[in-house]
Amino acid sequence: MKIIVPVKQILDPKGITVRRDKERIFINREEYIVDLGSKAAIEAALRLKESVADAEVIALSMGKPQADDALREALAIGCDAAYLLSDKAFKEADITVTVHILAAAIKKLGGADLIVAGRESSDTGAGQIGPRLAEALDYAQVTDVYALAVADGMLQATRPWAHSYAAVKAPLPAVVTVALEAFPPRYAHGARIMSAYRDWNVPVWTCADLGLDEAALAPLLSFRGESFPPPIEAEKFRGDPASVAQEVVMALRLQKVIG
Amino acid sequence: MDFSFFGDELEEEAGKKTIEEVGEGYRNIWVVGQTAHDALLPVTLEAMGQARGMADQIGVYVYGVLLGEGVEALGETMIAYGADRVLVADDPALAEYQPELYVKVVADLVGQYRPEILLLSATELGNDLAPRLAQRLNTGLMSHCTRLSIDMSERLLVGTFRVLGGEVFHTVVCPEARPQIATLQPGYFRVPYEDSNRSGDVKRVELNLAGQAGRLAWIDMGTTVELPPVPLRKARIVVSAGRGMGDADGFALVQKLAEALGGVVAGSRGAFDEGWIGEGQIVGVGGQLITPDLYVACGLSGDIYHYFGLQDAKFIVAINPDENAPIMKVAHMAVVGDARQVIPAMLDALG
Amino acid sequence: MDFTFPKEYQLFRRMVREFVENEVRPLAKVIDREHRVPHETVKKAAKLGLMGVPFPQKYGGMGGGEIGYCILAEELGRVCSSTATVIGAHIGIAAMAIHLDGTEEQKQKYLVPLAQGKAIGAFGLTEAQAGSDAAAIKTTAVRDGDQFVLNGAKVFITNGDIADTIIVMAVTDPTLGAYGGITAFIAETDSPGFSIGSLENKMGIRGSSTAECVFQDVRVPKENVLGQFGAGFLTFMKSLDIGRASLGAACLGGAQAALESSINWARAREQFGAPIATKQSVHFMLSEMFVDIEALRSLVYRTAWLIDTHQPHVMEAAACKLFGSETAHRCINKALQIHGALGYSRDYSIELGWRDQRISEIYEGTNEIQRVVIAANLFRPYGLRIPT
Repeated sequence: MKIIVPVKQILDPKGITVRRDKERIFINREEYIVDLGSKAAIEAALRLKESVADAEVIALSMGKPQADDALREALAIGCDAAYLLSDKAFKEADITVTVHILAAAIKKLGGADLIVAGRESSDTGAGQIGPRLAEALDYAQVTDVYALAVADGMLQATRPWAHSYAAVKAPLPAVVTVALEAFPPRYAHGARIMSAYRDWNVPVWTCADLGLDEAALAPLLSFRGESFPPPIEAEKFRGDPASVAQEVVMALRLQKVIG
Repeated sequence: MDFSFFGDELEEEAGKKTIEEVGEGYRNIWVVGQTAHDALLPVTLEAMGQARGMADQIGVYVYGVLLGEGVEALGETMIAYGADRVLVADDPALAEYQPELYVKVVADLVGQYRPEILLLSATELGNDLAPRLAQRLNTGLMSHCTRLSIDMSERLLVGTFRVLGGEVFHTVVCPEARPQIATLQPGYFRVPYEDSNRSGDVKRVELNLAGQAGRLAWIDMGTTVELPPVPLRKARIVVSAGRGMGDADGFALVQKLAEALGGVVAGSRGAFDEGWIGEGQIVGVGGQLITPDLYVACGLSGDIYHYFGLQDAKFIVAINPDENAPIMKVAHMAVVGDARQVIPAMLDALG
Repeated sequence: MDFTFPKEYQLFRRMVREFVENEVRPLAKVIDREHRVPHETVKKAAKLGLMGVPFPQKYGGMGGGEIGYCILAEELGRVCSSTATVIGAHIGIAAMAIHLDGTEEQKQKYLVPLAQGKAIGAFGLTEAQAGSDAAAIKTTAVRDGDQFVLNGAKVFITNGDIADTIIVMAVTDPTLGAYGGITAFIAETDSPGFSIGSLENKMGIRGSSTAECVFQDVRVPKENVLGQFGAGFLTFMKSLDIGRASLGAACLGGAQAALESSINWARAREQFGAPIATKQSVHFMLSEMFVDIEALRSLVYRTAWLIDTHQPHVMEAAACKLFGSETAHRCINKALQIHGALGYSRDYSIELGWRDQRISEIYEGTNEIQRVVIAANLFRPYGLRIPT
């Protein structure tokens, strides 16, 4: 079984401070990590690989040359192969362009039985890559998966649905996106970490390698700006429990602290 | 009102111009609605309110779109909530959500009527459907929008959504591709008033699902999953108990609140001494330094030895009868009251 | 000159940090209180290849060299000195001795399982009358046909009671003294005649076991002579030399932890109307800690680099251990002062760090011995030989 996992490299949020009062993002420490959605996807893919005979997991990342580190980490954690899709022409890519590039790479690899992605990335959280890829490749799709198994060319997944969880089946080839909290990532074995950089290869595929026309790489969305929520101001609440509770819950929702 | 001429006009236009002409020929705002138990979902009403407001700004119509089986009757409800026209795709094949079928139905309608803006709700279904639909239509999608507006100078939908864990907002537009699609984050848009005096047209569309079956088989609608436990140091939401919770029953309330908020239980040294929590759940000097997004301190005085552990929490709520307790001075929300009474009320409010 | 760690080491450090925070930190106080070795941690570490970090992959190790091992030691030392000691003694002196001086057969038979964490190692040098004066050991190894028979008692042996493999220094020729009369052996602890005497009741690192190992007619095959016959002194010196660099790394971690705790406490603790982070007395202490730590960091990793590139490193390694242990001492002491009465409380980790740190100035060659080693090497280019 061939499993492909799209991997995204992001700025480590632990090195970022957002000052609402100054309306600025301060990068205290510029470090890059594999986003948590991708890590959950890698974990889900590796668990599947362990549960079936003869499976391989391939990591793909569309990014700047430094995304090579994200792929080395994917290899170290347990992926069998990794490819970096990188080209100056990809610089302005938005989600639609990213999907275009990923789909081209997947086709170049001869397609997959299963594509496993994070439900959303932990930085921008758009949650579009999975279903877009499924449409581009004409694969079945199941999103927000908490449990996953493959048998006899069919995927079985459990996902939240209508105040409960539903079990669904879909034929391979399919795209699944996994819930971050359902697949805590494993540690990479030390020897694999060493080998990832010293012994193994991460081929780079350019625009030309993927047979892409630069003209087709124009983003569809245009960035208008960033803004910030207002600084948190302390409030006091008093009164009878019922009304106080209502106020608190409403305020928490207004502050977007709870859903 | 009879809109039948409208489709003819568009079809005439289509014959004269190339379909791919950007921006031109795309009009009106659509809302793909969702239903459950013979009613529109509240999120659909939110989307309707937003659509109506924007349509009035530009001066176009609001179309509602409903997919499912036995949903035609709700077309009138959509009219009452602001739609001028509702297209209903009512078919047994659509009774269960099938990504490809739903995409096909909506995409066919979009191809036929060419809305300039298409809104869905960022629900389980919407999050699954919208990106695939946008890909089918080769257009952009602004997902999980918490704010929408119209840029009148350019007649563009402007979508704002949260990134970086909600600390930053990004605003985007889709300048050329059509329709401009957005999913609306539930709870961020006002539900409009129902106006049963409004009138409009509900049309049951003819479906062309020739030989197409959805690929998903919904096997069991009521299963469960066991989630791996979240270690305290990684928890985003923490509900913490102090000695003020009184006894094991009081502590049980803290556990219930944690469950309702999707958080993890912790406590002060006092709670540990009372035997309610384990050593690994202590926050503060004898335990851990944590950085949750939300920290709810219940019946906790919050002296320095405890506060030390939560000084980097993003948002602190404290429930304490003593308004001069140390925790009340550092809390973003200081609730003066007895947690044993406030928590059950909060559980009610949370639903 | 590029002072950045190569990428594989950056990734390795991140993985180890995550492992240590999830698996080691929750047990740090527990194992001290319960006076037990964290076997569960050792098993988990073994699964990730962490019990053989510096050894080549062909011997079941991780291929991380001394730099990789110092990273592990530093990250462990930052959170739990006991765990660092258990793993450190296993990797840094026991398995290391076989890595440095073992034959191919010995490496296959003993180093591989040690590196994989399937066996635990200990280093048996010290005796009741032989601490700094290592040459005064009295354990004997007498040839009998194809075997040697070991008799004696070793004390203060880390991992002594949990080890499967123990490197033993024994006198093979009492007439020849330190050079020529001492031989290193690889012994298996399930051999008849091997027993554990008492376990030390220590001030600190109570999550590691320090045991008396008794050899009563323990037989080892002649194939288990480690290094050159009669050159046992050199064998264990080589091993201790390298072990000192990683000890410095563990002290670096501990010092770093003291600084981090102090910064967090100073931010939170208010006295006289403001956090104590605003008081100059605290500034001065924190700055001094930072200076010591940065100096130690450069020293440790440069020494690890010297080791990995097979350059002379004896003085630098001794300096790592000497400066590292004294830095850790100063840092934890300042941290204790900054935390005030809280630092004295058993509820908090400063007190544990303070008790754990003190041994680092004593074991693996006391700091006095380190000074002697450095001085001897300072004079060596001038032909002046100073016995150590």
